Amino acid sequence: MTRPLITHRTLDRIGLLFVALVMISPVILFFLWMISLSLKYEIDNGAYPPIIIPENIAWSNYVKVFEENNFLLYFWNSVLVTGTATLLALVIGVPAGFGIARLKAEKSAVVIMIARMTPGLSFLIPLFLLFQWTNLIGTLWPQIIIHLVVTVPIVVWIMIGYFETTPKELEEAASIDGATTWQVFRLVALPIAKPGIVVSFILALIFSWNNFVFGIVLANRETRTLPVAVYNMLSFEQVSWGPLAAAALIVTLPVLLLTMFAQKQIVAGLTAGAVKGG
Amino acid sequence: MASVSIDNPIDETTERRSKPARLAPNYWPFVMPALLVVSAVIVFPWLFTLWMSVNSWTLGQPRTFIGFANYLRLAQDMRFWESLWHTTTYTVLSVVLPLFFGTLAALVFDAKFPLRGFLRGIFVMPMMATPVAVALVWTMMFHPQLGVLNYLLSLVGIGPQEWIYNQTAVIPSLVLVETWQWTPLVMLIVLGGLAAVPREPYESAEIDGATAWQKFRYLTVPMIAPFLMIAVIIRSIDAIKSFDIIYAMTQGGPGTASETINIYLYNTAFAYYDIGYGSAMAVVFFLIIIALSFVLLMVRARANWSDMEER
Amino acid sequence: MATVNIQNIQKNYGAVKVIHGIDIDIADGEFVALVGPSGCGKSTLLRMIAGLEEVTGGAIRIGPREVSHLPARDRDIAMVFQNYALYPHMTVADNMGFALKLKKADPAEIRTKVQRAAGILGLEKLLDRYPRQLSGGQRQRVAMGRAIVRDPQVFLFDEPLSNLDAKLRVQMRGEIKTMHQRIGTTTIYVTHDQVEAMTMADKIVVLHDGHIEQIGAPLELYDRPSNLFVAGFIGSPAMNFIDGRIEEGAFRTKKGLILPLPQGVAAAGGRDLVYGVRPEHIRAATHGIEGRATLVEGTGSEIYAKLDARGEEIACLFRERLDVRFGDTVSIDIDPARIHLFDKQTGLRL
Repeated sequence: MTRPLITHRTLDRIGLLFVALVMISPVILFFLWMISLSLKYEIDNGAYPPIIIPENIAWSNYVKVFEENNFLLYFWNSVLVTGTATLLALVIGVPAGFGIARLKAEKSAVVIMIARMTPGLSFLIPLFLLFQWTNLIGTLWPQIIIHLVVTVPIVVWIMIGYFETTPKELEEAASIDGATTWQVFRLVALPIAKPGIVVSFILALIFSWNNFVFGIVLANRETRTLPVAVYNMLSFEQVSWGPLAAAALIVTLPVLLLTMFAQKQIVAGLTAGAVKGG
Repeated sequence: MASVSIDNPIDETTERRSKPARLAPNYWPFVMPALLVVSAVIVFPWLFTLWMSVNSWTLGQPRTFIGFANYLRLAQDMRFWESLWHTTTYTVLSVVLPLFFGTLAALVFDAKFPLRGFLRGIFVMPMMATPVAVALVWTMMFHPQLGVLNYLLSLVGIGPQEWIYNQTAVIPSLVLVETWQWTPLVMLIVLGGLAAVPREPYESAEIDGATAWQKFRYLTVPMIAPFLMIAVIIRSIDAIKSFDIIYAMTQGGPGTASETINIYLYNTAFAYYDIGYGSAMAVVFFLIIIALSFVLLMVRARANWSDMEER
Repeated sequence: MATVNIQNIQKNYGAVKVIHGIDIDIADGEFVALVGPSGCGKSTLLRMIAGLEEVTGGAIRIGPREVSHLPARDRDIAMVFQNYALYPHMTVADNMGFALKLKKADPAEIRTKVQRAAGILGLEKLLDRYPRQLSGGQRQRVAMGRAIVRDPQVFLFDEPLSNLDAKLRVQMRGEIKTMHQRIGTTTIYVTHDQVEAMTMADKIVVLHDGHIEQIGAPLELYDRPSNLFVAGFIGSPAMNFIDGRIEEGAFRTKKGLILPLPQGVAAAGGRDLVYGVRPEHIRAATHGIEGRATLVEGTGSEIYAKLDARGEEIACLFRERLDVRFGDTVSIDIDPARIHLFDKQTGLRL
């Protein structure tokens, strides 16, 4: 009586696993091919039919990327721009999320929604002019500042959601216990919202790191971030696929690693952000 | 202190008016820094763009106020109308396809099977990957002679395609990349919706003798409808603004075959440095997005079965 | 410890008046219960005393200090919330010592005080746990411990037992009472459960629609409810109310049921009255008022029955084990000394 049931269920599960594998195959194929391209010499990359696993692995592609393209500098630029923009966003965005949630001023968050709807380019034109007048072009500051357009809304948005769900009684209890509003925030609200801070930190980091459009306008040779640097490799060099794929992989690898390790938080944040973001 | 009379109502009101709501914690200091930053990097650009859009101003040349001339010029600009059409096709396809595949994927990942969490983690990766890097690798895959895609097509007996190098194929090819990258987001949203669906209706439907298809059609679809709408809204806004993939792969080409409003806007402002005209375009583009969101929000209001969105 | 003096307190939310000018005097060390149905304003009143809610008018004094407009942190009070409001990211010990830590007290002193409070409440072994690892009753104790450690002027309780199951509620009721007797801090306790109020409080304030209906000791409220609302609210099962008039020295309903009266109330004749008698003050008798049983519930220790006597429904609580079944005719006897008469129009006790 029970045995056929179990096999039926097992079959179902194997079937689902198979369907899921089919569904993720474009993802796997893409990334495999990316790795494959990055590890092949030009001859193998130009072969037809294509070779997936080459006989000679071209580690030199990666060496080339760093040697010939100033990639270490661009990597460091990316770290500085993304890191500073994300940290600044946390410093100002987390308290703002708290304040907005407590002031019940969710309506003010409309500004943030509209900011999300505004095309990045329409921020770029005026800020580009502003940075020219203030002579900031040539430093990393224009990019750091404009990345706040990406990071601040993410942080504020997610934190509003988190602070709204934390029970108000805790903060009332703390104020009865003698805490000032700042202490209530610092000692009670903030520690409880830690998961939300982690989520908004990760998402702000990723979206800032991936940003491309601000860089192509605001960066010069010295201040390029990684996405811009990779794009420039494509346009300026006699296209050589191995190093290009290697460079692409280097740009996106930190983000992919983060995605794998923090999958749960990212999924939680995106779902929450998305559901509320509508 | 204790001797002060507080029975006099006039005393009370004057005292209250002088120091209103002293008990309510003051949350404004928490909001102020963000408010400043948001006004500087978000609100100021909006206003500045508006102002520039009524000026004729090419970088390096003097600026003159020309009223709505930029907008009139835009209305007669064939290239703009063409880019509007490209944007429309691109957006519609980039909403419909991820919606279809994403919903499908969500239904699969909502069920229980071995390695589910791990596979879902892999499935989510495209949306996190750096768009420029993704575009780069797809460009190589689209290569008419050496690309792996034409090889894969040849395996199933389809002749080589020109992909992004062909005027008519370029937008569908870009949409393919967009779909590849953003299907996971739709999947996550719908998955969230499926998780919020209560179990009891299914049990009662089972007792009522509903088939699996009937349960899907009459229970699942209406219950996840609000989430599908959210996915449509987010996807529409993102797709209409799509820049990185298009710019990195085709820069609007071949010719202007894949030039969307956003790309045209970029070219106007930062290739021709026609700041005034570009600003007018940005304003119109922004209004289009707002109008689109507004329409979608109206539709959504009708698709809601619960008040989960409302506070 | 301190007295609490509430003078003409009012609260409006916009145009809506929630509390209409309330006066309460609470003596040092007294245990006062604010009781009333939900929406009567009792929680709002408590929150105004706590400083979580602004007063619209009137004054609150704790001891000699007027605190009406002081923020909560300056009022020297402690509060136990309905859902305990324990800080989830702190251990039990840290939860209890939080207020002292904010006051920058010496860590050793905090530890001693926390230990002492934990001793009173039997929490010694749980000090390193986190709230999520505790049962409902334990959380309740920690919330009380947090209040005790403070050694405040006043304890405030906001329906602290309503999240517990029935058995635990009775147990915690006892523990709170014991704690109050040991520590003797002035306590204001909000509840919608009149049994809690009756069993724990020295003084009960019955609130209804933002007005005080009656203030008094539990037995005073039970024996001499000053109006229909209090009479119906205090006591379980609820008092019987029967409409009628006094005619010819007896209470007569429209349908002709005659009920006994104590001496000397004939003066109230000629107007519509409500006759109140508690179910437990009705005894079975061999002859007397006759009624047909329309509901019989036995718990073993007592029998609760509803009788239909000439069209009037009378609920009775019999302590003796009677053999009554649905439909039986039962004779009852009402002790005229324990009945209450109210003016139908004003609702006030005669």
